[in-house]
Amino acid sequence: MRRLICLPCLVCLLFSILLVQAAHAKEDTDDSDEVAFKDFNLNIGDRIDLGDYQMELIEIQSVRDGLVVMRTSKVGGPLDEQRALLLDSPNTFDGGAENGGITITVADIFDEQSAKVRIEYQKSLGTARKHASERPAAALDKPELSVQKSFERNQMSVGDEVKVTLTVKNTGTGQALGIKAEDAPPLPEFSYVAGYPPKIKETLDSGQSDSAVYVMSAVKDGSIRVPAIIVSYTDAKKNAKSNSSEPFNILISPKSKADLAVKLAGLAPIALDGESMLNISISNSGTASATRIEADGTVMPSEGLQVTGLEKSFFEIMPGEEANYSVRLLGQKPGNYTIRLIVNYEGGDGSVIREGTAVVVVLEREYKYQYLLLIVPIAIVIAWMYRRYREYKY
Amino acid sequence: MLNVLMLGVGQCGNRILDAINREAFGGGGAANLAKYYLRPKFPSRVETLAINTAINDLKELRFTTAKDRLHVPNLHGVGANRNVGKQAFMDNRDMIMGEIEKRGDFDIAFVITSTSGGTGSSFTPLLINELKRQYRDITVVTVAILPAREEGSIYLQNAAFCMRELMEVDAEGIILADNQNMKRFGGDIASAYNKINDMIAKRLLFLIESLDSEMLSVTDLGDFKTVMNGGLRIGTMGFYQADSKNLSISDAIENSLKPANLLYPANVADDSARAMIIIQGSREHLDVDEITKEVERLTASAGHVFKGIVIKKGNPKVLSVFTLASAPELESIYAQAARGMQDEKEKRCRARKQLDDAFAHIEDLEEIY
Repeated sequence: MRRLICLPCLVCLLFSILLVQAAHAKEDTDDSDEVAFKDFNLNIGDRIDLGDYQMELIEIQSVRDGLVVMRTSKVGGPLDEQRALLLDSPNTFDGGAENGGITITVADIFDEQSAKVRIEYQKSLGTARKHASERPAAALDKPELSVQKSFERNQMSVGDEVKVTLTVKNTGTGQALGIKAEDAPPLPEFSYVAGYPPKIKETLDSGQSDSAVYVMSAVKDGSIRVPAIIVSYTDAKKNAKSNSSEPFNILISPKSKADLAVKLAGLAPIALDGESMLNISISNSGTASATRIEADGTVMPSEGLQVTGLEKSFFEIMPGEEANYSVRLLGQKPGNYTIRLIVNYEGGDGSVIREGTAVVVVLEREYKYQYLLLIVPIAIVIAWMYRRYREYKY
Repeated sequence: MLNVLMLGVGQCGNRILDAINREAFGGGGAANLAKYYLRPKFPSRVETLAINTAINDLKELRFTTAKDRLHVPNLHGVGANRNVGKQAFMDNRDMIMGEIEKRGDFDIAFVITSTSGGTGSSFTPLLINELKRQYRDITVVTVAILPAREEGSIYLQNAAFCMRELMEVDAEGIILADNQNMKRFGGDIASAYNKINDMIAKRLLFLIESLDSEMLSVTDLGDFKTVMNGGLRIGTMGFYQADSKNLSISDAIENSLKPANLLYPANVADDSARAMIIIQGSREHLDVDEITKEVERLTASAGHVFKGIVIKKGNPKVLSVFTLASAPELESIYAQAARGMQDEKEKRCRARKQLDDAFAHIEDLEEIY
């Protein structure tokens, strides 16, 4: 009984299968003229085989213009054509897909090496397949410029000159053409001394670099944001490109000045016909070097005190440093004398004058035991009065 | 040059001697400082010695050198007791005379003392005797100060006995000064006594200077001795300095003899025995005829008048020294002293009787314990 039940089921299953296959066979027959399409991502040299047709990506002629060159041929047929295809424009071969041929459309251009291509064809031609090229990928002809703008130092003072260096290097594989550097607008905190605007070679081969230097002088203090410099160029296919440097900050301090202080020390009174030394110290308490320091002085009254070595010159006194020298004094006549020392120097803001004065006393000739002339009589008087006091003390 | 010894005995004598030393420094306030740088300037060789039994009295002196202060050790003074004083002198006689002897020989000695005190009144008569014994040719003149009458009965008693003893010793004379007469000069007692001391000091120095000066009309120590030997051998001094308003020398002489200018109140016309008039001043002020006339007028009452004229720049100064033929004021002092002594004696008797009566209450009793 169980066998009687299973047998009709098996028959029904076989029958169903036969019905499905029959239906399928009928459908294939109906779709043989239907147009199919398929997208391929092709690199240069890659090929698509579709039946007897062969389509090969020859080159990306212009990414900007959307031109791709493909070669289309048919095995055993007369078709062997290399055509520049415009982006998004269908190109028919052998009448196109509607007429049993093929239609090729460049759907997208990725770069100089690859593009997306759509193939339309009748299914009867078979299935389109991609054959990757076994040729090594052709070297890219792609220039790439790196731009760097640098200051000699990031901190400076008003009046300082600073050197700015602009460096452009072609790190790409192709030649960069029509290079233009735009370093504008000029910074108002600087006056441009020389070399501006910077000039860079118009053409740089791969690996080549060029630099331009210009000099500026800081004229205004503050923190400054140095803007990026933009370099524009094209590659061999006139593709325009550009790159820019990184902006950065610099600090301009107020103007540095030298500040000299003149100090005259060692002014003990001088005995008549005695000698003494006057120590002169010129110290720079400013922030800039003092240069071309000339020291000279006068003595008032001019006679009676002989001063030797008062005139002196120094080339430079650095900030925080000092220069010292000594002057020999010879007292020739008693009195008070004023030594006036005048120091002239370049302090970063023109010529500056500083003065220092000192009073020198030349003593009267001291007679030995002169003071006894006063003390002895007083002592005698006191002794005498004490003696008299004792005489009357009872 | 005269060799002069000036002895100040007792507190009063010491102070007058100190005033003399101050005058030798120029006197006044300047003397306070001058003593430290000047030597005393005496007209002759003058030696001074202050003698006292009270050391505190000696300490009060300011212008007498320490070596010229002689302390006679007798506790602290003699308490106005002349008997104690005499005993103290006798006990220390050699020491006192030794101190005087150290100072050399002298032509004249002035012994300055109060007659009423203890030390001075008791020492002075004995001291004069010793001086006369030790220095045969010396002239000794006592300058005796009589007390004010209200100073007390003991002082009056001392004055009375002292004066009697002074009259008995062999001195050339006594120059009296009476505090009763002179204390009117000052406002308070202390300044009055100081003024008296200064007055006596100036007159004594004036006298010494005059005796030792070259004179237009000479008076010397002999004349002075003669004057002092006149009358009772008790004399006094008058002094007057003419001012610019009245430079008349005759008026100056007359004024010097007025009671107000005398150390002892006396009537020169009635009481004087001998006199010496010493006149000092600029030559233009000293009219000899006028002086002679005035002296002659004085001679009519005083018996004999020595006159000396010293030419020295300045207004006329007149020192008059005279001895008295009678001293009625002294008699009143003695009378007052006698009354005081009698009263004292009666008081003592009454007190003794009262005490004896008190003791009579316990005459027959004994102490019971």
